[in-house]
Amino acid sequence: MVAVQPFDDNPCRPRHFKPPPCAPVVPEGPARQALETCRSRLFLTSLLFACVFAAVALRIVEVVVLEGGSAQSHMPRFRIPAPPAPARADIVDRNGKLLATTLDTPSVYATPKQILDPADATRKLVKAFPSLKSGDVYAKLTSGKSFVYIKRRLTPREQYEVNQLGIPGVQFQHEERRVYPDGTLTAHVVGYTGIDNSGFAGIERGLDDTLKDRRDPLQLSLDLRIQYVLREELQRVIDDFTAKGAAGLIMDVNTGEVLAMVSLPDFDPNQPGASDPDHPALSFADRMFNRDTLGVYELGSIFKIFTVAMALDYGTSTLASTYDASHPINIGRFTIGDYHGKHRVLSVPEILMYSSNIGAAKMAMAAGGQKQREFLSRLGLLKTPKIEVAEIGSPHYPGKWRDVNVMTIAFGHGISVTPLSFASAAAALVNGGVLRQATLVRQPPGHAPQGQQVLSPKTSEQMRKLMRLVVEHGTGTMAAAPGYVVGGKTGTADKVSGRHYADRKLLSSFVGVFPINDPKYLVLTMVDEPHPNKQSHGYATAGWTVAPATSRTVQRIAPLLGVEPVDESSPEIQRALTVDSLQGKKIEAY
Amino acid sequence: MIRVATLFWLVLVSATGFAMFGVKYQVQALEDELGRTKRATTAEEHEIRVLDAEWAYLTRPEMLDAMNRRFLSLSPIATKQLHTTAADIPMRPVPPAPVEAAAMVAAAEPPPPPGASPNSPEGVPTLTAALIPVTATSEPPPTQSALRAMPALLERPASAPQLGKAAPVKAVAKPATPHRAKSLDDLIAQIMTSR
Repeated sequence: MVAVQPFDDNPCRPRHFKPPPCAPVVPEGPARQALETCRSRLFLTSLLFACVFAAVALRIVEVVVLEGGSAQSHMPRFRIPAPPAPARADIVDRNGKLLATTLDTPSVYATPKQILDPADATRKLVKAFPSLKSGDVYAKLTSGKSFVYIKRRLTPREQYEVNQLGIPGVQFQHEERRVYPDGTLTAHVVGYTGIDNSGFAGIERGLDDTLKDRRDPLQLSLDLRIQYVLREELQRVIDDFTAKGAAGLIMDVNTGEVLAMVSLPDFDPNQPGASDPDHPALSFADRMFNRDTLGVYELGSIFKIFTVAMALDYGTSTLASTYDASHPINIGRFTIGDYHGKHRVLSVPEILMYSSNIGAAKMAMAAGGQKQREFLSRLGLLKTPKIEVAEIGSPHYPGKWRDVNVMTIAFGHGISVTPLSFASAAAALVNGGVLRQATLVRQPPGHAPQGQQVLSPKTSEQMRKLMRLVVEHGTGTMAAAPGYVVGGKTGTADKVSGRHYADRKLLSSFVGVFPINDPKYLVLTMVDEPHPNKQSHGYATAGWTVAPATSRTVQRIAPLLGVEPVDESSPEIQRALTVDSLQGKKIEAY
Repeated sequence: MIRVATLFWLVLVSATGFAMFGVKYQVQALEDELGRTKRATTAEEHEIRVLDAEWAYLTRPEMLDAMNRRFLSLSPIATKQLHTTAADIPMRPVPPAPVEAAAMVAAAEPPPPPGASPNSPEGVPTLTAALIPVTATSEPPPTQSALRAMPALLERPASAPQLGKAAPVKAVAKPATPHRAKSLDDLIAQIMTSR
């Protein structure tokens, strides 16, 4: 700026001549005072400005350099709508196949005030949704309200069509809905959700909080293909023997992972309330009931594997011990007889092979009730099992363990457990004696969860040999699957009705393990109230119902699970599975 | 008096101002684009979810089984079909002399021997026979008529009368249960009506 120079007032000074610099002459008195004040004010003001600018500069450095440009814009105009997170994580099987997902099923609504041509809009909408009546739609669109629903919960295709119509004033409201593409197949395991997408049954309920929190899919240990095979084979048993229901599960004996879990009859989780069009008489409760985890059953003779394992593990019997099974046992008002009676002295392998109740009862008595109870408790059969689904049943067993209880429990009566607990315990029996908690969530490959050693590896090895014997020569010959070395045990229990055992109402079950020389998978199948048919020669026992089903299942799933077939008559397998005490003896066919 | 310094600062101030506004509008445009892209991504993600669900629905084991029975008639692998060690695999049969080589030899030699004609009917069938894998299934392979009927099968419902003759197809023709939804859309529609 051109300052006024009061002291350079020589009018004759040439323009290019500047007077030499000299100290400003400061006037004395009040003028000087005013100047000083002015200076200090200026100084303070500039200091203030400097501070503010410094603050701005620092903030810029912070935003751009320190935070790396991650600062959020504060202007609402620029706020980006965050993508709506899926309300619930998907559920997939062990191969990543979708079992449950959440889909957007928007509702379409209109703002009648914004609709320019209600007649045209009505015509278009009715064409898109033939189920709507044009009179209703027109009335809604001309109502003058600010919000009317046209149609709730559109399918993806309908949404696309409405978008294509492009009617101004017609909009979507987002709503989410759980969809189960596989329907009934995994109904009891996956469960279903209610109207607000909170879990009502199965994994959806058992792991409700986990599913709500996570975004990436939850991977189950289930294998959809194996689940399908098991369900189909069980359905076939039900159809062939006009049974009331069936249940089955397939477990990896070395990790406790459940690969398939089927309970029939089942329901469609997409419409849990709807009745089954094929069987309208079935009640809702019956179809929802998970027989694998919630149902507790007196499983009958398949329990004998625990009796034998107990006697061998405590050393109260050896494989060479013999028990007289020629006469029924009378105790109190009960008579214990044999269904497949041989009426002679039987050795321990024979007791299991021919499924002798008398022999098993005597073995248990030789060991005593306390040992029996302790052994079953160690195998986890006396406590409520743990698994990820919400429906879990507690075992029923006598509070006071009397002699009669010891005898009946020896062959699986007088104690009710869930098939799930049974499978876990049976897996421990064959896998070298390690009890692991059953799980429906996939374990990382090669990682076996921590287990508990509940019996000696030697007993486990003996049990494998004995279970092979049952399939080779005993009651379970129909469970044999050539090449896959199945071992197992049949069980046919009389069902309890009221306070009595109902005659002719059976619960047939079979526990199979393959390959028994190096156990990998356990197949437990159970059929409720099978009726004999012509092909089974009047039998509805396990050997004729679920044993063949196990054989078919094993032959179908083994290639899927990568189990290689072997030559069952090869010397190494024969050597691994021969029971020494029977060597050289002729084995009587069952 | 406008000094050079003043001019310099004026220019600098206006340049900064313009640059500032330029950057501001650029950022605005970018933010708008980011918002659009994010919305589009969300929409795509939704669509992928729908397609995933549809894929899962259309490839559920029940459906694949029905399709297999209708079009392929494959059966589960039997034990005897599996060879687990290399020693079990039979050696490849020694192929006959290649046809082209035989033809060249035949062309080179002035008097062609009567048996070594290039189009000799003996050579070709043995070669193809060696190439066809031995099927171990108990079911017979689809007959010629069944193979011819396949394209028609794709267009017509399974109960079309002329297909009754083809043996493997006949076993299949279990009518689809009417209450099963045909597509994911139908399934969702069913869910909605049921609540």
